[in-house]
Amino acid sequence: MKIIAALAALAGGASLAVAADFERPVRLKGGAELVRVESPGYACPCLADIDGDGRADLLVGQFAKGKIRVYKGLGDGKFAAGDWLKAEGAVAEVPGVW
Amino acid sequence: MDLNGDGVKDILSGSYSRMDKSMAGLFQVLWGRPDGTFSKAQTLNGADNEPLVIPTKGEDEVIEAICTRPFAVDWDGDGHLDLIVGNFAGAFYLFRGQGQGKFAPAPQKLMAGEEPLRIDGHHGDPFVVDWDGDGDLDIVSGSSNGGVQWAENLAGRGKPARLAKFKALIPAPDELRSGYRDNEVVAPTGSTRVWVADFNSDGKLDVLVGDSVAIVAPAEGVSEADFAKRRAAWTDTFSALSKEAANEKDEEKQSAIYERMNKLYEERKEFMTEDRTGFVWLYLRK
Repeated sequence: MKIIAALAALAGGASLAVAADFERPVRLKGGAELVRVESPGYACPCLADIDGDGRADLLVGQFAKGKIRVYKGLGDGKFAAGDWLKAEGAVAEVPGVW
Repeated sequence: MDLNGDGVKDILSGSYSRMDKSMAGLFQVLWGRPDGTFSKAQTLNGADNEPLVIPTKGEDEVIEAICTRPFAVDWDGDGHLDLIVGNFAGAFYLFRGQGQGKFAPAPQKLMAGEEPLRIDGHHGDPFVVDWDGDGDLDIVSGSSNGGVQWAENLAGRGKPARLAKFKALIPAPDELRSGYRDNEVVAPTGSTRVWVADFNSDGKLDVLVGDSVAIVAPAEGVSEADFAKRRAAWTDTFSALSKEAANEKDEEKQSAIYERMNKLYEERKEFMTEDRTGFVWLYLRK
């Protein structure tokens, strides 16, 4: 029911905004593939050097199981293909996110 | 960020809601370890050793406590990391830090003048940064409506924060659809989450935007023309029902409308596929 209620708010026509102070937006890639999250969506990005190599890595949280995908920073705004963040040897999950 | 000051980066997350007790979007931390690994997610407790939550008075206020997004920053300049937290309602709270990962259990609601600070839309998503370069900390946020908003701190360097109301930094789409064709996905749609950084090292702050979008296509064996016709008819019916539900005050009748919407939603599979996902967009500052 929650999903349907949310979709109700989304029903209707559309136009996509572009801000005057910014270049046109582009989708980031990890390796050759677009960075994207599992269904039902809700990508939450974060930049941080979590492997300590001096380059910012991209972490992307998602709604499904509260998992986080890590894209290793390669420099010059490029990232390697993603892998799930691990915690204590297993894929990390944040509870209460679903 | 290093939440507990042990010299190792930790990962801090909000959540939609816990499953037991009253609804509350607990804060979760994956504590960083010296060997570069992380602990499993652990609930962040307040200085009283109870889970840190936004307090509410009854079910009417539950949207204040759920769908939390914390951001750790020394907001008050006392040398300790504080938490600025967004929620489902679109409001913001400050949990004052006491150092070493401890936070006062009772938060303070952030204000813009005499009124609570609130984004346009739901799902407050704070990123705290000196966006305008005037020496104080501003708040940038995504929104359920899409787009990116910012609340300017008018205080100036070293002074207690004095926030203006949110205004658009990147406008939200005029309207949001329940589905987009792949070639229509040219900018973020709704449910935006933001990160601010000088991505290309040109001295200007850029914005990363995560979103949520449903990409639709004709089901197997359905022609483009038939798909377009049936999708348009479906959208009209669904929009009418959603308006009917929004205007219906009787809970039972509203429930019945939602049931019809659920059924209608399932019927879409006859003529279309749906891939619900989210992308990460980069807005480089000119």
